[in-house]
Amino acid sequence: MTLLRIEDLHVEVDGKEILAGIDLAVDAGEVHAVMGPNGSGKSTLANVLAGRPGYDVIRGSMTVDGADVSALSPEERSLRGLFLAFQYPVEIPGVSNMEFLKAAVDAHALGRGDEPPSAVDFVKRARVAAGRLQLNPDFLKRGVNDGFSGGEKKRNEILQMLILEPRLAVLDETDSGLDIDGLQVVADGINAFRANTNAVVLVTHYQRLLNYVVPDHVHVLADGRIVHSGDRKLAVELEERGYGWLAN
Amino acid sequence: MSERTTELADLVGEEHAATGRDYAAGFVTEIEADTLPPGLDESIVRAISAKKEEPSWMTEWRLDAFRRWLSMPPPRWAHVQFPDIDFQAISYFSAPKGDAPKSLDEVDPELLRTYEKLGIPLHERARLAGVDTAGEDAPQVAVDAVFDSVSVATTFKERLAEAGVVFCAMSEAVREHPDLVRRYLGSVVPKPDNFYSALNSAVFSDGSFVYVPKGTRCPMELSTYFRINAENTGQFERTLIIADEGAYVSYLEGCTAPMRDDNQLHAAVVELVALEDAEIKYSTVQNWYPGDEQGNGGIYNFVTKRGACLGDRSKISWTQVETGSAITWKYPSVVLRGADSVGEFYSVALTRNRQQADTGTKMTHIGPRTKSTIVSKGISAGNSQNSYRGRVRMNPGARGARNYTQCDSLLIGDACGAHTFPYIESKLPSAVIEHEATTSKVSDEQLFLCQQRGIDPEKAVAMIVNGFCRDVFRTLPMEFAVEAAKLLEVSLEGAVG
Amino acid sequence: MAGSPTDAAGLAERVLAQGPSRYAPWLDRGPHLDLLERRALPELRAEAWRHTNVGRWYETVLDRTVTPASSYRVESPAEVEVVDFADARAAEILQLRGEETYRLSAQPIAAINALLLGAGVAIRVPVGCAPPSPVRIVELPAAYQRVLVIIESDARVELIEEPSIYTHRLVEVVVQPGGQLVHRRHQAASSHRECNLAAVRVEAGAHYELSQLSLGGDLRRNDIVATLAGDGANVTLRGAWRLDESRHLDNQVAVHHRAPGGTSRQTYRGVAADRSRAVLNGRIEIAPGAQQSDATLNTKNLLANDTAEVYAKPELEIYANDVQCSHGATVGAIDDDAVHYFRTRGIDEHKARRLFVRGFLREAIDDPDTAQILGVIQ
Repeated sequence: MTLLRIEDLHVEVDGKEILAGIDLAVDAGEVHAVMGPNGSGKSTLANVLAGRPGYDVIRGSMTVDGADVSALSPEERSLRGLFLAFQYPVEIPGVSNMEFLKAAVDAHALGRGDEPPSAVDFVKRARVAAGRLQLNPDFLKRGVNDGFSGGEKKRNEILQMLILEPRLAVLDETDSGLDIDGLQVVADGINAFRANTNAVVLVTHYQRLLNYVVPDHVHVLADGRIVHSGDRKLAVELEERGYGWLAN
Repeated sequence: MSERTTELADLVGEEHAATGRDYAAGFVTEIEADTLPPGLDESIVRAISAKKEEPSWMTEWRLDAFRRWLSMPPPRWAHVQFPDIDFQAISYFSAPKGDAPKSLDEVDPELLRTYEKLGIPLHERARLAGVDTAGEDAPQVAVDAVFDSVSVATTFKERLAEAGVVFCAMSEAVREHPDLVRRYLGSVVPKPDNFYSALNSAVFSDGSFVYVPKGTRCPMELSTYFRINAENTGQFERTLIIADEGAYVSYLEGCTAPMRDDNQLHAAVVELVALEDAEIKYSTVQNWYPGDEQGNGGIYNFVTKRGACLGDRSKISWTQVETGSAITWKYPSVVLRGADSVGEFYSVALTRNRQQADTGTKMTHIGPRTKSTIVSKGISAGNSQNSYRGRVRMNPGARGARNYTQCDSLLIGDACGAHTFPYIESKLPSAVIEHEATTSKVSDEQLFLCQQRGIDPEKAVAMIVNGFCRDVFRTLPMEFAVEAAKLLEVSLEGAVG
Repeated sequence: MAGSPTDAAGLAERVLAQGPSRYAPWLDRGPHLDLLERRALPELRAEAWRHTNVGRWYETVLDRTVTPASSYRVESPAEVEVVDFADARAAEILQLRGEETYRLSAQPIAAINALLLGAGVAIRVPVGCAPPSPVRIVELPAAYQRVLVIIESDARVELIEEPSIYTHRLVEVVVQPGGQLVHRRHQAASSHRECNLAAVRVEAGAHYELSQLSLGGDLRRNDIVATLAGDGANVTLRGAWRLDESRHLDNQVAVHHRAPGGTSRQTYRGVAADRSRAVLNGRIEIAPGAQQSDATLNTKNLLANDTAEVYAKPELEIYANDVQCSHGATVGAIDDDAVHYFRTRGIDEHKARRLFVRGFLREAIDDPDTAQILGVIQ
């Protein structure tokens, strides 16, 4: 079953075309890696899926579970199960992680027509997820990303993914800024999340995360187009030969 | 003197829901009132004094203030604009009719219902509304309820009396505790301190009086709830809190008024006195009617609040959450006289629509090693103007004194203004002053992160603004912090464009 | 007070009786005459003069005992046009200025300058011109002086004001699009009472940079008004001062962001010793629509004695939401820990303090001359 379908997607930022006709289909149970050199449009693809203001869809469509999401607000896309792990998570001083997560979990519950979880149940869930990512429980009381190290910010993104249980998780450069231990912990989190009912799109420059999270498909993006697709062997080849041979 | 029934309409009806949805306290209470005719001269001052059955020294004190007021000009330096006030068009006294109730059972049920509706219980079993999470273990709060010009009820008086704490209406204190009143009234805010303090000294009606004796920790939170009900009536309350040596008291003030098209004047004076090792914590959640979107109506809140840390190691802490009033002109201050005394000012001021706020503090360091902290969070939305104005002064005796000030402004929308006017004055090298100020907005990135996680923009802004105010909210008693956060959320509704 | 020669109304009357001067007769003095006729000079306790007794300056205006220089001394590279302000050509250069760079109602004593004006220069740096040497204003032969500087598009130059004696100096600067002016001012210790106003308009993509070193005077008041009038304008203001004896320095600075995308940076460091008084009021104003403005002000002050005084009033007045503005101010003493650290390395206390102060002042103006001019060199 196709979870995400992108067809002939053209996107402009500040009037400049960044994505020039992307086609991509992601089925439930799959992990896709989108790779490419800096400036190829990888992050634009992640951001436009999540509905970031300023990323204008000029042509084409993006459907999640068969419904076009192009016109939906970011929060509506979130409630439909689309999750973006940010490359640079923003700081929100004074708002605790716990408070922030509870607001998100409540919004998702209400969106499904469910009662929001009780505070006690929620805290339990959050603690378990934090433990899995080897985050100190105190972490939940700190301001959202406020004063976090680069690695803590990335773990926090995965923590939110585990708690919100999206249908489609788009992880934008989640491996950058992580040391070896952090990479292992984050990869374990992603692998634990993988299921037949959801899908993951990994946006990454390097293939090192792919040693831990094995993708079913690898796509190479250059100048706003997917120029090559293959299986995980493509990622290894890219690591050895760089991107140059594909772009030319 | 005229007696008339206040004109009444329940503004909370369906037809007013559109304008009234964000100001739930905007209803009018239908009750017969005893109101002095508009205008101010010596006979009015005497009449107020007579109504309160005051001793002659009090009448003379008022008249002296009135005569000084006549020669004073209203202050014009604040960053606010409003037409001149016609002080002869205001009535200076209005009270529910009938004799003062001697016990809670005698209070007019209509008044009890008013306070119930506002979430303020005037019986001694219940806790304050909105404290449902706190459960049965919640600390009890004693309440003095001031309705227009008089105190209508004070709860828990007996239990407080057992601890030696005096908590009563100011008019009662003038009669029952004249020595304390004569000694301290006007000692922190002198009659001619400013135009509005002089006016208040002449015509003040009611307010609360607190005395906490030596070495006593007040057994519960004290609270005064001010309600302006009558039309064209000013409220001029006067509060005096004295914490004797080693005493501690935490006091909370709340205020609301009906929605009316005319502006109403509220010119209070609050004086705090902390003797050696005493501590006073004074918290305000100010929710006077702010006027409508076009700037019609609302309260002019011109208030003088000042504390004196007279004794060594004494401490006075002001926390204010200001969301109401058409115009706010208010600088809760501390005079740090005692050695090692501490002054604090924590403020959240939110303005929207056409509200104007000019608020801040003065910390005057006189004693050695005195310390002060100022944390001010201003939020401007709509077409409002929000100013922080503060003065930190290190006088020659304040060796080793320190001040730290942090002023942050948040702007929501591009039609409002946020301003910072700090005055920093030092005359000695061993005193250290540090001041920082920033201006920011709710960033698009913050909003997008919240939305990506499924939180709608209005809720996201409320959450981010609450986070911005956290350093101030955490200084409030827990139940009031919850109330303040809710108030902010309600006030921000529709502020996100 | 009425009738006393040092009150505002009395002064206005006497100035009207003295002037207007016959210098630069082409200059339109209408608004200035009008201001004086309305008796709109600052009163003794005016808010803007809280820390400077304007009456003492009025005395100087009246008793006319200031002996200015006897001749013009202005040095300039050949590419730069410099004319006497009395010259008809100066009127043409003034045309290039366009509207005034300051509001007379906010700077009322500039009216006295216009009425009693005795000397001045008009300077024009032509389009694209970037001379290798600075324009240097050494001295001007009058108590009331005027300097007009037009930096045309894409021109760049350095302007130096050397220490000199005057009662009032008005410097008006316009930096046209893409232009650049580096402005240095040295104010020696002085026993005179003097006021000056530097009013600057910076147009799109232009830069203006001021470095002001001052030792204070019997009364010295520096007003600076910088307006970022075009998109992406840039203003940097730096001030360092060191006051001793009973000297006085009152800096009143206003930076107005009137167009989007402007950047302003203000850094001040001051030391006040003996019975001196140092004042810095620094205002940042962001006008409606001046989005993406980025403005900061930072001032640090050291008090060396119990008898010296420091007043700081950094202000923000913000009418646009997508901006970054901040200010910071501190007042304190020389850091004893730092002095101790020097001493553990064998440097005596006196020298350690001087080194500390020198480093402190250089945070504002890192220029080899800073220490020498401010008298903290070894």
